[in-house]
Amino acid sequence: MTTVNVGASERSLKQKVEQALGVVAEDAKLSKSYMTVAFIALLIGGFLGLFQGLERAGLIQLPSWFTYYQVLTAHGILLVLVLTAFFTIGYFYAGLSQVLGGILPHVRRMAWIGFWLKIVGFVCAVIPIIMNDATVMFTFYPPMAASPLFYIGLALIVIGVWMCAFGAFINVATWRKQNPGKQIPIFAFFATGVFVLLFFGSIGVTIEVIMLIFWSAGILETINVMVSRTLFWSFGHTLVNIWYLTAVSAWYTIVPKIIGGRRFSDTLTRVVVILLVITNIPGGFHHQIVDPGMGEALKYMHVFMSLAIGFPSLMTAYAMFSVFERTGRLKGGKGLLGWFKKLPWGDVRFLAPFIAMAAFAPAGAGGIAQTTNQLNQVVHNTLWVVGHFHLTVGTSVVLTFFGISYWLIPHISKRVLTPQMNRIGIIQTIIWTVGMLFMSGAMHYVGLLGSPRRTSYTTYGDHAVALGWDPYMILLAIGGTLLIVGVIIQVYAVFNMMFFAPKGKTEFPIAETEEEPQGKKPALWADRWGLWIVLMLLVVSMGYVIPLVDMIVNAPPGSPPIRTW
Amino acid sequence: MTQAGYGLALLLFLAIPPIAHLFESIMIIHMHMQMPLLVISGFFIATFFQKRYPGFFEKWNEDGIPGILLFSIVFSYWMIPRTMDEALTVPAVEVFKFISLPFLCGVPLRDSWFKISLFVKKIVFATFTLLFFALGVLYIKAPVQLCNNYLLIDQLTLGWGFLTMAICFMIFIVYYVFTEKEAT
Repeated sequence: MTTVNVGASERSLKQKVEQALGVVAEDAKLSKSYMTVAFIALLIGGFLGLFQGLERAGLIQLPSWFTYYQVLTAHGILLVLVLTAFFTIGYFYAGLSQVLGGILPHVRRMAWIGFWLKIVGFVCAVIPIIMNDATVMFTFYPPMAASPLFYIGLALIVIGVWMCAFGAFINVATWRKQNPGKQIPIFAFFATGVFVLLFFGSIGVTIEVIMLIFWSAGILETINVMVSRTLFWSFGHTLVNIWYLTAVSAWYTIVPKIIGGRRFSDTLTRVVVILLVITNIPGGFHHQIVDPGMGEALKYMHVFMSLAIGFPSLMTAYAMFSVFERTGRLKGGKGLLGWFKKLPWGDVRFLAPFIAMAAFAPAGAGGIAQTTNQLNQVVHNTLWVVGHFHLTVGTSVVLTFFGISYWLIPHISKRVLTPQMNRIGIIQTIIWTVGMLFMSGAMHYVGLLGSPRRTSYTTYGDHAVALGWDPYMILLAIGGTLLIVGVIIQVYAVFNMMFFAPKGKTEFPIAETEEEPQGKKPALWADRWGLWIVLMLLVVSMGYVIPLVDMIVNAPPGSPPIRTW
Repeated sequence: MTQAGYGLALLLFLAIPPIAHLFESIMIIHMHMQMPLLVISGFFIATFFQKRYPGFFEKWNEDGIPGILLFSIVFSYWMIPRTMDEALTVPAVEVFKFISLPFLCGVPLRDSWFKISLFVKKIVFATFTLLFFALGVLYIKAPVQLCNNYLLIDQLTLGWGFLTMAICFMIFIVYYVFTEKEAT
């Protein structure tokens, strides 16, 4: 092996010094670049979201050269693809650098190649969106056909992500080789789980996108719409859970340290990661629950697959409150709920992820409702669904990301979080929470009243039912306005902490595990990632063989590309 | 004993007529879900027999070979299309399925797996991987309906199920070979 582990004895003095100071400069630069792109995407995507919300409420009319649906497509791509992917990779690479003693030089190169591939891919995808040649929304369902450049851009983004995933695998595998008999550090364990899902989850959508490139370029005459949608959702739902698992990694490993406690059982934490990885990919079927061409027995089986993901989430809820209670009591909290008051509510690094966790209770419950065939039919094409993912992604995940930024950005920038910035963070968190309560709450409710999603403002010829949605749309617009204030504050905070905050050392706060019984051996079996991947693939094949064979063998005539706008 | 209780509960659950009917209504779920679950129920129940009749297992399954042979024969028997068909049409065969898979597959598998050598384990694993490949090709390539009770499309689905499982087994073998090499 010619590679050098910067954690090994050969590392240079400079690197040793940087290690002692808490961060390897080259790794920090990588993470900073990823974070910069992530938060610029938040800023632009946030404004696009505001425009969309205002038009949806009937308050403004977007110009004909940049329509509601173009904005909708760009908003989706920027926030659900760029913000989340760049944040996740930047965060995990910073953590891997910390816990594995630095990123290997060739892995760092891979991450940079991945970075630029994603940027080039993103530019390729954005150009046709701006030119109104890819107004297909971020789900890009065929038969709506975008310009081939749009799909090529998406393919490049996926390849960029794969570079980073394989880089992480190499780094973790090298560490294991150099540390025989030791468990993978818990943070690296989470990172491995996330990158495994990123890679395997995106194989289906890559096949779809390659087919779409040929189809939109006219080389393939028709496309099988059902197969495309199925391949998309094998990725779509997994992606949601990748963000979720990223947030969960901070809940398990970081938050306990911030509140001055210890993290929950190491073994159970690893079991949660393994379960989330194994059960995840076929869960995407509940997005297709109203699709034709799938029998009810199959949908019933898939409800089980989807609900299986709920089980580790419930384990997480228990684990988190167990940690909070234990820490609160150690700090002198008495009585049934006295420990609750002892938690550091004035610390944004805790408050933001706590609200994120609390939001996951209604968000998860909503998700379970949507998994159920009959309930899904009530809400499927309504704004309820939009409200749901603004609660899951826009609150549970994004607020955790914001909370992370208040220590991660100072850590990689060798600066500190000042009390003033902490106060700004608290205000930002409150504004975000209130904004989301208005926006997501209104979306959920008006969805139940039948207001459709993926639709610009319309009164359906002043129909009484449609007019009845209007008051909720105003609430939605108020929420959206508060959220853009939140976005501006957050982006200001990030760049302030990156470039202008006082210099100093901020640690990467990973908590120690709770005290294990004496003589308890580390759960080395949990590190057998090859086995978990095989089990995951078995579950995937169990989930996908039946519908895919049926959709391909009994395929209806395919669809030619259609431009609906 | 708790484990044996769970195993028995699983067996009884699978035997409830509407559940059995649901599982048996789709060919691949019949073979790749109901049958393995029956084996798993026996795998759990095995603890009861092992504790109750240790002498029996000691005498008849000393080195685990008879048990693993019994498992392999009975499990392979249930992969033949005709046996599945008969389970649906002949009640006695259906009863035999619910007895043979837990008690002649699951129980001996549990007792044998921890007794047989690594070499035998490898042979068993490799054999089943090859068998799954072969059956996958058989079910995909067969131009005629192999089961009266299932359509050609069900058969094709089962074939792909076998193939994907065989591919998963192959990946595990490759992973195992590499990690074993690292460990030595």
